[in-house]
Amino acid sequence: MNPSNPPQAAEYGGDEVSAIVLDPGYSTTRTGFAGEDAPKSLIPTYYGKYNADGQEKLVFGDDVFVTPRPGLSIYNPIGKDGIVEDWDMAERVWEHSFISRLTGTKAGNPFQNGLNDVSSDELPTEMEVESEEKPLSDSPLLMTEPGWNPAKAREKTIEIAMEKWDTPAFYLARSGVLAAFASGKASALVIDIGASNISVTPIHDGMILKRGVQHSPLGGDYISSQINAIFKANSPQPITITPHYLISSKTAVEAGQPPQVKYKTFPADKAPDASYRALLEERTLSEFKECVVQVWPGPTKLSAPSPTGVSNEDMARTTPGRPFEFPDGYNQIFGVDRFRAVESLFDAKAAIPDPDSPFPPPTPAQTIPELVKASLAGVDVDLRPHLLANVVVTGGSSLLYGFTDRLNHELMQMFPGPRVRVTAPGNTSERRFGSWIGGSILASLGTFHQMWISKKEYEEHGPNIVEKRCK
Amino acid sequence: MAAADVRDMLDLPAEGQPRPHKKQKVVEKRPEGITRELYALLGERAPPIAINENKYKGRPKWMNKLRVRPWSMAPFTNNARSDGLVLNHWQRKHESARPPVPTPAPAPASEESQMEVDQPKEEEKEDAPKLPEQEYAFAKYNVKPRLPRRYTDDEYTRHLKSDDWSREETDYLVDIVTDYDIRWVLIADRYDYQPRMDTQPDANALVPAKHHRTMEQMKARYYTIAATMLSLEHPPSEMSEAEFDLHEKMLKFDPDRERDRKELAALQLNRTADEVREEAMLLEELKRITSNEQNFITERRELYSRLEVPISVGNTTMYQSSAGLSQLLQTLLQADKSKKRRSILGDGAIPSPAGQTPSTAGGLGRAETPVTQAANKKGSIALKEPNQMVRTLTTAEEAKYGVQHHERVSAGVQFRSDRAQRLTQAKSNVQTQKLANALSELEIPVRLFMPTERVCKDFEKLIQSVNMLLDARKVSEKVESEIRVLEAAKMERERKSREAAGISGPSADSEHPHVKKETEDGDTGVLDHSTAPQNTQGNGAAHQPRVQEGDGNHKRSASVLSGASDKSNKRQRR
Repeated sequence: MNPSNPPQAAEYGGDEVSAIVLDPGYSTTRTGFAGEDAPKSLIPTYYGKYNADGQEKLVFGDDVFVTPRPGLSIYNPIGKDGIVEDWDMAERVWEHSFISRLTGTKAGNPFQNGLNDVSSDELPTEMEVESEEKPLSDSPLLMTEPGWNPAKAREKTIEIAMEKWDTPAFYLARSGVLAAFASGKASALVIDIGASNISVTPIHDGMILKRGVQHSPLGGDYISSQINAIFKANSPQPITITPHYLISSKTAVEAGQPPQVKYKTFPADKAPDASYRALLEERTLSEFKECVVQVWPGPTKLSAPSPTGVSNEDMARTTPGRPFEFPDGYNQIFGVDRFRAVESLFDAKAAIPDPDSPFPPPTPAQTIPELVKASLAGVDVDLRPHLLANVVVTGGSSLLYGFTDRLNHELMQMFPGPRVRVTAPGNTSERRFGSWIGGSILASLGTFHQMWISKKEYEEHGPNIVEKRCK
Repeated sequence: MAAADVRDMLDLPAEGQPRPHKKQKVVEKRPEGITRELYALLGERAPPIAINENKYKGRPKWMNKLRVRPWSMAPFTNNARSDGLVLNHWQRKHESARPPVPTPAPAPASEESQMEVDQPKEEEKEDAPKLPEQEYAFAKYNVKPRLPRRYTDDEYTRHLKSDDWSREETDYLVDIVTDYDIRWVLIADRYDYQPRMDTQPDANALVPAKHHRTMEQMKARYYTIAATMLSLEHPPSEMSEAEFDLHEKMLKFDPDRERDRKELAALQLNRTADEVREEAMLLEELKRITSNEQNFITERRELYSRLEVPISVGNTTMYQSSAGLSQLLQTLLQADKSKKRRSILGDGAIPSPAGQTPSTAGGLGRAETPVTQAANKKGSIALKEPNQMVRTLTTAEEAKYGVQHHERVSAGVQFRSDRAQRLTQAKSNVQTQKLANALSELEIPVRLFMPTERVCKDFEKLIQSVNMLLDARKVSEKVESEIRVLEAAKMERERKSREAAGISGPSADSEHPHVKKETEDGDTGVLDHSTAPQNTQGNGAAHQPRVQEGDGNHKRSASVLSGASDKSNKRQRR
């Protein structure tokens, strides 16, 4: 194709209106321009709060990880079930996500922003004063929400977008629908393994089936708690995670040997809050999940005897372990434990009991196979085989090694009759940002532009319009 | 002067015949980085490997001189929207005055591009009012399904009243169906009708008894409404075909049947692994059975077609005369007729043409040929009941014509003499040799001169009895040798006991044990019973070798039974 010719609009149906796609999650917030293939701005949803000179200051974005300021405490505006709890702070975090990378604090025409001017006296002076506070006044905004978002939260979201950010057009899409779009499907069963939640969303013709939406709290944070339980019960000595900011120097030690490390100490008035340490421990844990943790590939449960008569756990023991080095230099090879950490996602009985964990022991109904079963029970029977043939896996925690294989086996066992086909993009970013990518596709479609809720419509009907338009 | 001009001058029609295409020389382009001389050395054929690698070509040079066609961020409205939302997108700047493909004119282009940078705002202003007039390209995709007209109050009360559905709920249903474009899955999912409290004055309960509507109920209600509205609009007699079909379909919707179907579908979906496996197995079995049946049918058809084909008679001399040919024609005609008749009457009632040919041929006195015999045989198989056209032969006639009835006919042609020949071949060479010896002694040639039926039968009998005799002799020899050994042992013992007793000297006895054995043959009571059958079977055979034994080597004796002595000789030599 000649690059100097524009593509025929009908060929790909795209029509960019420089919309911004905002996909807020529990652990990260993804923002970027529609039509791109990955979000430009990826920031943690966590924010930091500290006192300096008697003033309360806030830290957003990746900066929260960097400096252990005195009294720095970490919060998350989103509740454990994925619904926003602290609206003021959620607004600040989201705003930071696009202001920091996409729009800048002041969106201005390059002809008028003062950088390209030849003569200064031609400038109309009122321009600078005008577009100050409303950061999104020339970008339509597409936001995502979980399938179980209550009506109140949706109304609050459009209120923020319209009144605080002054977006000319707004749309609120379900993250499950967008993940299905990202896989090129209009009907699918989306299994989203996030940080705080796992959810199963049946989708028909680009709309969720509300009666089939299921979610449970066995997400990435739950897996972290399971790993913590494993560390506590570790056999030579319990493992404690010391984040990097507490370590001054360390020397390499043999596997299993106690660490030789010099700690940094903070005086009581200079030390950051415990929540800061928890946040950084979580970073180490996610590294552990990426490097070590593995899902037992199946076809039977880890606790079940394998068809050869040897129990699966013994089989798992024979596989070579995986080493991991903690920030303080302690390192160890993890054998069968690395399978046990995530087994409870599929088998509630396999959960490792831990009285200190913030998560109650999982019920069988919270496991992924049961969620899928319940979800399918909520939709019409004619649709079920079709949904099973279009299972889409998305979400960062689904990147656990061997996850899709196990899911496939579990689903095939549960539904031996219909054809089960699990679609999971192999690309890491496509898996992590599935719903953002779907939003990027949707917001850059020419046919979608009739669906935006415009400012005018919002002013006419009030925030309740989101219930009518974003079904 | 071009050919067209000449044509023009001469008033010829333009291009009377298409000019033959010039043969295009396929010239391999010389790849870059290889000199002309070197390339010429390669000859006509280019080497099969690519000499130069594919490179990114980029834009051709002349394109760089072109002016970049400008794009601008242009506002647009979407006709599918009612609120006139203005969004901005990049659009090719409208260039009405210029040709669609700019000509390579470097100097003015650069001037123009400068101008553009200088006055961007003016051009935008010019473009902006033009663009919204254009239809937005994607507005045409905004389509809605055609729904029947909404009922009026009057129509509702007259036609659509239902005990189960209140007016409010019906309104709600029609609204939601419109909202979701008759996608029933979504409608059933989102259906959430809350009856208003004031319509139920006695609703004291906190939660009003919620009516759960199934998809089938909704469908049934909606289809009734839609069908009624459709027929109100056009009475069924005036409907178009499509409309009528739709009307019929909607009227015939049966919610109970639909519910049953869904229950079945759920059962089918929730099968256990065993059931699935069993089903797969049964399906496999079914497939096998059907394919087997198909095979069977084709095979049977093939067999039938083979039965129908008249046996080709190797000898064509009979058809070389005109009488023979007319005979053939007759035969064929008859076969054809009978075939036709058979197709009417059904199988088996009429003999196949293969069965008829021999009967007519038999009339010509050709019955003796083995081929017609076989044909006759086949004909008699094809016939269930004896037909008038086939003569039944008496035994004498059968013998005369050589007609035979076999229990089983093996495939292929066989010669009777071959079979007789085969009998003379025994399993071992020695045995064969012995048989041959016996036959030559009886002056019967190994290959029969006249292998008629009867001769062959007798020959068979003869061979059998010779075999039996040979067997008997073998047994007798075996027994004899045993006796000999035992006697030798006995003599030895006696000698020893005699020596022990002091009586010496019967050396002659030990030197001629055979003679001794012969003399004592009869009176060794122990061996009586074993020798008895041998005597009955081969009476002379037992004595003859003894006579010749002393003579030693006469291996090639003419005697039938000399083989036995050969054997014993050999044994002795060993």
